[in-house]
Amino acid sequence: MPRLARPLPVATTLTVRHEHPTRGAAGRERLAPERQRFYWRMLMPALAVLFAVTVAPTLFLLVTSLTPLDLTKPETTADFRAPLRNFALLLEDRRFLNSLWVQAKLSFWTVSLQLLIGLGFALLLHMRSTLLQALRTVFLIPMVLPPIVVAIIWKVIYTPDISPFHWAIQAIGFNMPALITHADWALTAIIIADTWEWFPFTMLMILAALQMMPEEHVDAARVDGANAWQLTWFVTLPYLRGVLLVAGLFRLIDSIKAFPLIYILTDGGPGSLTEVTNYYGFIQAFNFSFIGYSSAITVVLVTFTVLLSWLTLRLVGWGRYVE
Amino acid sequence: MPENGTRKTIEAARLHRRQLLAVTLAGLAGTAVGFKVSPVRGQAKKFAGLTITGAAFQSTYHEYLKTYLPEFEAETGMKVDFQQQAFPVYNQRMDLELSTKGSAYDFCNLTFIYSGRWVGANWFTPLNEFVTDANKTPPDWDAEDFVAGTTQHLKNAKGEIFAFPWEAGAMLMAAARGDLIEKASLGMPTTFDELMKVCEATNGKEGVAAYVTDRLHHWNFIPYLMGFGGKVFRNPPDDLMPAFDTAEGARAADYFARLLAEMSPPGVMSFTDDQAMRAQMSGRANIRTNAITWLTALVKHQESKVAKTSRFALMPVGPAGNFPGSNSHGFGIPAGAKNKEAAWAFITWAVSKKTIERIVKEKGYGAVCRRSVITSDYFTQSLTLNGDSVAPLYLQVLELGGKTGYMKYRTVPVYPQVGDKINKAIERIATKQQKAPEALAQAKDEAIADLKKAGIQL
Repeated sequence: MPRLARPLPVATTLTVRHEHPTRGAAGRERLAPERQRFYWRMLMPALAVLFAVTVAPTLFLLVTSLTPLDLTKPETTADFRAPLRNFALLLEDRRFLNSLWVQAKLSFWTVSLQLLIGLGFALLLHMRSTLLQALRTVFLIPMVLPPIVVAIIWKVIYTPDISPFHWAIQAIGFNMPALITHADWALTAIIIADTWEWFPFTMLMILAALQMMPEEHVDAARVDGANAWQLTWFVTLPYLRGVLLVAGLFRLIDSIKAFPLIYILTDGGPGSLTEVTNYYGFIQAFNFSFIGYSSAITVVLVTFTVLLSWLTLRLVGWGRYVE
Repeated sequence: MPENGTRKTIEAARLHRRQLLAVTLAGLAGTAVGFKVSPVRGQAKKFAGLTITGAAFQSTYHEYLKTYLPEFEAETGMKVDFQQQAFPVYNQRMDLELSTKGSAYDFCNLTFIYSGRWVGANWFTPLNEFVTDANKTPPDWDAEDFVAGTTQHLKNAKGEIFAFPWEAGAMLMAAARGDLIEKASLGMPTTFDELMKVCEATNGKEGVAAYVTDRLHHWNFIPYLMGFGGKVFRNPPDDLMPAFDTAEGARAADYFARLLAEMSPPGVMSFTDDQAMRAQMSGRANIRTNAITWLTALVKHQESKVAKTSRFALMPVGPAGNFPGSNSHGFGIPAGAKNKEAAWAFITWAVSKKTIERIVKEKGYGAVCRRSVITSDYFTQSLTLNGDSVAPLYLQVLELGGKTGYMKYRTVPVYPQVGDKINKAIERIATKQQKAPEALAQAKDEAIADLKKAGIQL
């Protein structure tokens, strides 16, 4: 397979790879100090911006999580007398522990369904048909709608009084409970809405990958006598493994940020059945003014997300597929 | 060369022209300066060129007020940028804004459930000095005219007042389909027992749910809790130990959860105030106990389909008495505001007798706080709805809250936290996730944890 030209990996290693046959994979040489300084000078503005928008707020979050900061008590801003108190309280907070479990269920189901449905639709839309090609744009609509609009659409669908869906069910003689206030259905209702909103994202990524899949792989398999199922299982899916990983990872991280649907549809209820961790952190900060405690929740969430991403990449093997 | 007499005449004429010019210029300058600063003539234009910014949650009162704003701006010379957001959005934003003691807003709404927190944290300006200053407050403004129950939570322990109310909520009961109750040979319920009997007899009749409410159970449920003999706190504001996990509390929770689960439209637990009102207005739900603002629309709103069948009464009485919710929201001045005097001028205008009278007479608004307006003939007439005289009921509820102080539970700084736990408990009970005693005990544990987090000694 021909090697593709790639950008210089200066940001990570500050080395230059020369495509020189005699040096091979070890063909790296240290940059001249002058050139290295030049690179650093060029990088500094970007690093400064990155620090200001990412590192500084994260540090502030971390510092705040070590205080009992309460907006109604300014003196708590720099109170570091019991720096781990918030984290100790979290361990005893049933609602927080429940929110982690709700988050895990929501993430598992939404990411799995979005990958499956996205893959199914991508394979379908990859077929050579004018109608299907025209439909591609239509399928993208849920993803490009503002999340709050999506939430309102589903609020209408799930509210029996005004829902065409409920009217249709009643018209054929059935009664359906209000899903978002039903203990057995509330989380499912969120999962359905989230899946509808975001499966086009995975579909789009997989479709893009499919369109770049070398024809010779398929042709070779066909020459070897592979049927459609074998083609999908042994050729297409292994080829898509990398993009499925990336799409899944994106969706996993995004699922941890789920907010508008929960805010509009269920407010975390009934009870705490749909209360995910970031929503609980939001309530602590903006309804109760417990900024310190909310920061501790967020620190746990950020740590968890970073660890999960790292673990996923290790298990599935990011490097192989990028290389 | 002109002769002597002629010269004198010309000089006199020149002098006259100069004098005339000088007088004219002085007059023009004086007029301009007078408009700008004269404390006597210029009181009305004292704030010329100034723009003040205010914020509040959305309300019909503010919509009505805005229609009169041009008159106020013409009178005072100031411009008013009055921003409004949805109730929860406003409260969250303002909580953050006030905590910074920033100067983004010159006046804003002091929300009832946040009053303990916002007043207690000194985030508002005491208004007593403004009230007693004759140069800043018209003599007939009459701060004592506000019904006592509507200003209690807007004051601190020292008696300083931080806002003046523009809206009072007095919890009453309204039946959108009073005719269904009559058809069942029953009357408007006066006790909790009667309420449940009426609901049982009428639920589902003609496709109408017997009861409806919105999802703010920490407002709607508490009168039932107290009516059964329960309490939110042991003795607020001094003793904030949660006390709702009693046998009385469990009975009340079971009763209220039954109204939600069996007598209300499907999905009622996600209903906003507006949704609940529209369920009544469209005739899909019958009885609601809530603040008067949400009930008068049944008769007065042009889209209402139940204008002729609506009936009104006091909140039913429980075994332990009658504890209808009452509240009020007021305009105050943030501690960090830059234009406090101008903001006060706006507030005195916005809740003056004259403005409130106009809004009642011209717009039919019914949630006012001034006694002189509530007891007036035009208000009584305006609030006589399908033969039910609602004005006296309204005043009765407002006074009840002021006299006995049972609404104090709602104005303590930590009520948002505790109210949230009650909300969740009611949801768990109504959806059969937990039994009432178990749900209330869990809510109490969680509330205590939050109270400790807030540094409350229990």
